[in-house]
Amino acid sequence: MSKSSAIKGNNIDSNHLNILIIDDNEQITKMLTTFLELKNHKCTVANEGKQGLALIQENKHDVVLLDLAMPEFNGYAIIKALESKDMLKNNKIIVFTASTITQDELNQLVNRGVTSYILKPIDIDLLLSKIIETATS
Amino acid sequence: MTIDALEERMTELDSPINELSRLLVKYDLTPNQAKVYLYLSKIGIKTASDVSKSLRIPRTETYHLLSTLQQKGIIFSVFGKPTKFNAVGIDESLVILVNNEKNRINELETGKESIIKLWKSIPKYAGNKEKAEDNKFQTLQGRNSILVKLEQMIKESSENILVLGTDSDFKKFHHTDFSNLLKKTKSELKILTDYSNKGIHVFEDIPSKKIKKLDDKNREEFCFIIKDDNEVIFFMTNSELKDMRAMWTDSKTFVTTLRSLFSLIWKKAHYIDESNVESLLGSEITYEHRLREIEQEKIILNYLQKNFKLLEHNPGAKK
Repeated sequence: MSKSSAIKGNNIDSNHLNILIIDDNEQITKMLTTFLELKNHKCTVANEGKQGLALIQENKHDVVLLDLAMPEFNGYAIIKALESKDMLKNNKIIVFTASTITQDELNQLVNRGVTSYILKPIDIDLLLSKIIETATS
Repeated sequence: MTIDALEERMTELDSPINELSRLLVKYDLTPNQAKVYLYLSKIGIKTASDVSKSLRIPRTETYHLLSTLQQKGIIFSVFGKPTKFNAVGIDESLVILVNNEKNRINELETGKESIIKLWKSIPKYAGNKEKAEDNKFQTLQGRNSILVKLEQMIKESSENILVLGTDSDFKKFHHTDFSNLLKKTKSELKILTDYSNKGIHVFEDIPSKKIKKLDDKNREEFCFIIKDDNEVIFFMTNSELKDMRAMWTDSKTFVTTLRSLFSLIWKKAHYIDESNVESLLGSEITYEHRLREIEQEKIILNYLQKNFKLLEHNPGAKK
């Protein structure tokens, strides 16, 4: 467990979150990391789906930002893999996507065990508050 | 059992007899023809007078009914005075009635060419030269009329067929040529429906890559089929089989409007097969998708630029 996440017992310190970002868009992951680190959070980045899945399985993160549209091993594949290992509900996963996705499909993802979703583009402050809200929920 | 007792028993069995009469009407019998046939087939050999009295049908009409049923081949007369009648068995009668209908259809088919030939032999009058422009409208009522039009559209299509509607909208055409023709069509087929992989569906034999999911908000409002971007059939009431009403048109404005609506919904919809969606998400990043990503990059970048400017001007500020 990362020191910077400063977990107090079962409580999560919302000022020092341990965040995993899985997104193939390197511009976004780099800038988002800079932004979140400015806010004193710790970020781990995976620009490929399989690497992201491995990181979820290996380490505990306060929250995972998961992009859906990625080449080869996409966000759906990660969700499916976690589901098959009964690990989906143990992780706080926020689907973070620019894909055209219907409300029906978003609801389906939440029913399957995804914690919440954020549709790109989103205001940076709203993004942060959503991350904190999900991590501490 | 005496004949009188049997007749009484038949009166008691009014409900199944009425149901049978109703079913026989589908085989081109009038309700009274069906009644007479059923009466004879259950009671056995009878005179015209007996039939008339038992069924309370006027004598003249009874003679006419018996004569028609004989012509159809499902009852026969027994020589004697007075003439008596009896019915052919129900199995054989049904075969005869079906064959009669088949023959009638064949006659209609063969007669088609003679009618066209005759029609062509009549010279056109000057006043009839006005050509019908692409703005024809046709209101169709009842499942059969709609089905015939749908089948004609699919058969004649050479470019594309766009179908929008729920599975329940098209359920009335299940096990008809409609779904078979859609399956076999060489035109580009796109279907927007609420199909899911559970249960039996009208479109179940159609490859899933041709079907996209119709979301909740579009489910109840529209149901239409567009052929080759030049004809559309639009369902107005789609509840009961008899009350089903649809409008067919080749109006360019109408077709173009519905075509645009279809394209818009199709673009935003996902394929019914989730694995298909998943693979598309990996490989087919749309222009809209990329725009949203760029917009997100811009938002974060703007924030960072502002903060770094603040840091430059105020180096002591906490990172």
